[in-house]
Order: sequence, then structure tokens, then C-alpha cells
Amino acid sequence: MAKKPVGPQMILANCLREGRALFFGRDGAWHAEPALADVAEGDGLDALMAKARAFADANNVIDPVFIPAEQKDDHYYPAHIKHVMQAKGPSVRPDLGYQVSPDWERR
Amino acid sequence: MYAYDPYDKEIVNTRVEEFRDQVNRRLSGELTEEEFRPLRLMNGLYLQLHAYMLRVAIPYGTLSSVQMRRLALIARKYDKGYGHFTTRQNIQYNWPKLVDTPDILLDLADVEMHAIQTSGNCIRNVTTDQFSGATADEIADPRPYAELIRQWSTFHPEFSFLPRKFKIAITGAPSDRAAVKWHDIGLVVRKNDAGDIGFEVLVGGGMGRTPVIAKTIRDFIPEADLLGYLEAILRVYNEQGRRDNKYKARIKILVEALGSDTFADLVEKEWQTTRHHPIDVPEAEIKRIEAFFAPPPLEVLPEQDPAVDELAANNFLFHAFLKNNVRPHKVPGHVNVTISLKPHGGIPGDATDAQMDLVADLADTYSLGEIRVSHEQNLILPHVARRDLPELYEALSRSGLGTANVGLISDIIACPGLDYCALANARSIPIAQNLAKRFDDITRLQDIGELKVKISGCINSCGHHHAGHIGILGVDRKGEEVYQLLLGGSGAEDASKAQILGPGFDENGIVDAVETVVAVYLGERQDGEKFLETYRRIGADPFKEAVYEAH
Repeated sequence: MAKKPVGPQMILANCLREGRALFFGRDGAWHAEPALADVAEGDGLDALMAKARAFADANNVIDPVFIPAEQKDDHYYPAHIKHVMQAKGPSVRPDLGYQVSPDWERR
Repeated sequence: MYAYDPYDKEIVNTRVEEFRDQVNRRLSGELTEEEFRPLRLMNGLYLQLHAYMLRVAIPYGTLSSVQMRRLALIARKYDKGYGHFTTRQNIQYNWPKLVDTPDILLDLADVEMHAIQTSGNCIRNVTTDQFSGATADEIADPRPYAELIRQWSTFHPEFSFLPRKFKIAITGAPSDRAAVKWHDIGLVVRKNDAGDIGFEVLVGGGMGRTPVIAKTIRDFIPEADLLGYLEAILRVYNEQGRRDNKYKARIKILVEALGSDTFADLVEKEWQTTRHHPIDVPEAEIKRIEAFFAPPPLEVLPEQDPAVDELAANNFLFHAFLKNNVRPHKVPGHVNVTISLKPHGGIPGDATDAQMDLVADLADTYSLGEIRVSHEQNLILPHVARRDLPELYEALSRSGLGTANVGLISDIIACPGLDYCALANARSIPIAQNLAKRFDDITRLQDIGELKVKISGCINSCGHHHAGHIGILGVDRKGEEVYQLLLGGSGAEDASKAQILGPGFDENGIVDAVETVVAVYLGERQDGEKFLETYRRIGADPFKEAVYEAH
């Protein structure tokens, strides 16, 4: 049986159509902005993942996984640099990715 | 250049429509992600950190200007205006949408390109010397053989689900510019005492977490027996390679476990069993393929050109370009020109759509419409008249493509790293950028001379760090990017594995460490000695002492 992740976690997945990284939000929707992500730990993890999977299938979102979260100010953000990169976009192309704006692809 | 026959066209077009159907079924929910993943990977479509990534095959690194313009169009129409040329002579697009990928593949098929054999546990796109057919030092142009291997391996029913991916490289010259000793199979064109063409066959090379230099299992296999012998190697690997552990599944692990002599015996036995039923490639087909790679119709011209000499005497940067980016062609009065995709501060291997269009135009004007991609992530115009160099250099410089650093310390191989890749542990590109900026002075670069820096963002080694004169490996240490420094590798005919020097560095420390290594080299080198020669003569200790004393 897989080991349960330790500490606060958020759920990261990808949009089926575009592949973009999405975070499972407190409102039950998927968002590009990690600050909107729902966070759980310990016994709350299974319930959060079950809810996310239900919303994933309905919204063409794939491969939901837990990622470690850390609190800054009033919000949680991805803790690991890999997931920070996913939330923002490539550090070497600041003109691309969600670091430009959450809806940069549509601008 | 090779041109598709009706059979090639049919299989590629059929594959496009098959994939269109698969994408539609995935989007409608008929296929699950688990069912769809292997299908998209068979078409070169990966899911990376920010988006899908489409890897397009450039067989043996040879492109026409028409194909290059199509790559530019795809970058513009479906992506974000650029593409990334890789260490396997391919191109990757970083931002395609799933729904667009069948149309991208259709646009590629229209110019005889595809994304087959760029992913999965099959025989991957064959790679070769970027100067093939245009260099005086080769015994034979390896591209007809590479094309034959492509036709044999594409959709080969027996070898479509190997234990792991399988990479073949081939060189026609004794100077190995294709890193053949770092491949699952390396082929070196040889001539025997009777003057017949054949191949030295090396097996079991590879990078990754277990770097191994390939071993010769046959000194000479006649060209007529090439496919049969390759089939015997693949069959032994397919039957005996491990499938229980993906980290132990490459052929290098099998060859190491059995010993290369035992492995060679098994291949020989298999080959002797099957060689009486040879893979019978019709002579007409061989002639058809060879005709596409006939020597270029170039007029013999004077070796020297007064206008070139005059510009070189008066323009230091052109002089450097001439020295570093230009090498002799096999036809007198012509040269191979390497276009560096390593502008200082830029992203190694990246080219914008406008740059790709420009290279296509320049290829039409100066290089018989032909372009090559090197595994060192540069582009080559293989057939340029020496007298055209001033005009060509001017056009390249105006578009940021005139960097005169080929083979020097800023001509860095770097994988996409953690900026794009889902497998990466650390960023590679910023390290390459910072190193290139640190060594920004062309006089200093030239004084340092040949020095190959290769950077990987994880142990999978797409940045070839094991083969770097200076190799850099990014690792994850408790969520922090740490960079290990390796010295003494080579991807050439004198292949060697780089060795880790000591504890790793942060992203600033690694640049300082490289500068210290260079300083030790400059202090220790003897007349005319290149970095690797000095390292091999004095060993790692002087470098280690200086780097860790300064750290």
C-alpha cells in the first residue's frame, strides 16, 4: 500500500485538452492559480482526493496527484520547486505561462 | 535527400488518421487516459510540466528547406513561435494542444515528416554525423544505411515492444561526431583489406543512471549483412533483456551482465541460424535509396577567396566565425557552416519561427536547400561556397544566429530541464545561460579553446553530462536544486565517462566552480594542449583541490 503523504497537501492535475497544470480548488473547480487550491492532511486526504477525482472525470482533468503545500501569508502554495514551476511557467521564458496571468493563453 | 515512395506516404498518412481517431475517442471519453497514454506516446506526444510536448523526428538529422519552413509554420500556427532542437537531432514543441496534434501530424506528413519512433520502447530515430556526405574524412556517407535502418525498423512487428527504448547511431568517418559509443548500437563504417565497405558493430553503450561505453562485438560486418546482424542483436536483447525493472532493462545492462564476449557469441549464433534466410533488400531499392544521397552537384572552386580573407583580416568576429563555425567540405572551395543555436544568454537549441524560416531561405540560397541538425543542438548548412561566407555571415548575424562559439565553452548542450520536463529534478537552461554570460568574451573563449560543457537536469542524461569534458548534473536535494560537477568525459572516438569531482553546488556556485576548473586548465596546459588532454595528463586532483579550496 502506498505511503500517505506527510504534511499539508494540495492536488495537482493536468487539463486533458491543453495539458496545463490545474489545482483542485476549495470551490470544487479546477484552477490555474494555486492560491485557490483546497488543502488537506492526514485523515482528510482520502476525502479530498475522492472529491477531486469525481470533478476530474467530469471536467476532462487527468492524473490528479497530491503535492506538498506550504503556507505563505493567508494562502497555501506548492512547496516544491517543480510544482512552483508548473504553477508559473518556465523560469527562462517569463513571457509564457501562468506567471503572465491566469488566463494568458486566451489573451 | 530521401523522398517518400507511395508506401512511405501511405503508412504515414494512415498513422495520422489513426491518431486523429484516437484523439477524438479520448476527447469523447471513449478511451480512458490509461488506454490513450501509450497511443499518444507512439506518436511522440508527451505530457510535460506545463503542456503537451510533441517530439518530431528528423531522420538522421537531415532536413530540406521546405521541411524547415514547415517546422517554422507549426511553431507559429500551433505553438508559441519557437521549437527546441534536441540531442537526438529531433525538434520538440513545448505547447501544442491535444486537439491540434492530428492536424500538426498532417502538416508534417505533407512534407514527409512524422513523430513516429520518437517515444516508446521501440527502435528510435537513427542518428548520425551532421556532416555526412559533405566531409572529406568519411569512408562512406552513412545516410543511405541510416535510411535503410529507418525503413527496416519502422513498425517492425518484432521490435515494437522491446524491454526499453533502443537507439542506433552510425558514423561514416573515423572522427566520431555522432557519439556512437554512447548508443545501444553504434555502427562505424569500415573498409576491409579487400576494399569492401562494412561496419564495426558496437553494442551496449548508454548514459542514464548507469553510464556505459559500448563495446565492439564485431570488427567488420559486410554491408549486405547489416540488417540481418542488427536483427540478431535485437532478437537476443528482446529475448534476454530484463523486463522486471525499467532501470535494468536497457541492452547495456544485459551486455554487462553476460559479458560482451558471451553476448557477441549469442548474437553470432542467432545470426548464423537466420542468415540463410537473409532480409532480402532488393538491389533496386538499395539503388533507389542511394540515389537520394548522391554526392552534391558542386563545382570545384578555389580554396581561397580574397573577399573572405579581407573580411577576416578586418573583422574579428567574422574571423572567429571562420575559425570556429566553418570547416572544409569534401568538394574544394566549399565548406560546412555550423549555425550556433547557443547565443550567449539564450536557450541552447531553441530557434524561433522567424529564425527557422531564415535558415530555410539561406539553405536555398547557399546550401542546395539542405540543412542538418547536430546532436550538439546546432544547425548546419552543409554545402556552402567559401566565397559566399561574408554574405551568409552578415545575414546570420542580423538575426542573432552569428555566434562564433562552435566547440567552445559556451556551445553548451543542455536538456530542457525543470523549466519544461516532467522527469527533471533541476533546471539546466539557466546554468547554461549563466555560464555563457560568464564566458562572454570571444577572445577569452578562443584562448580556452575546445571545451564541451554538457548539462542534464536529471540522471536520465538527455544533456549528455557523462560525455562532457565538463559535465553538470542537476539533482534534487530536499527540494533544492544542487549541481554536481563532472570532468573528463568524451562523446567522440576517444569516448570516456566523466567522473564526479566532489560535493555539489548551488546554481551560482556551479558557475564559479567551472570558472575555477578553467583557470586550473589554463595554468597547467602545455603548448597546444586542449582541456581534455590536460585533464587526462594531470588527473582530477589539481582541479579538485582548487575547486573545493575556493568553495
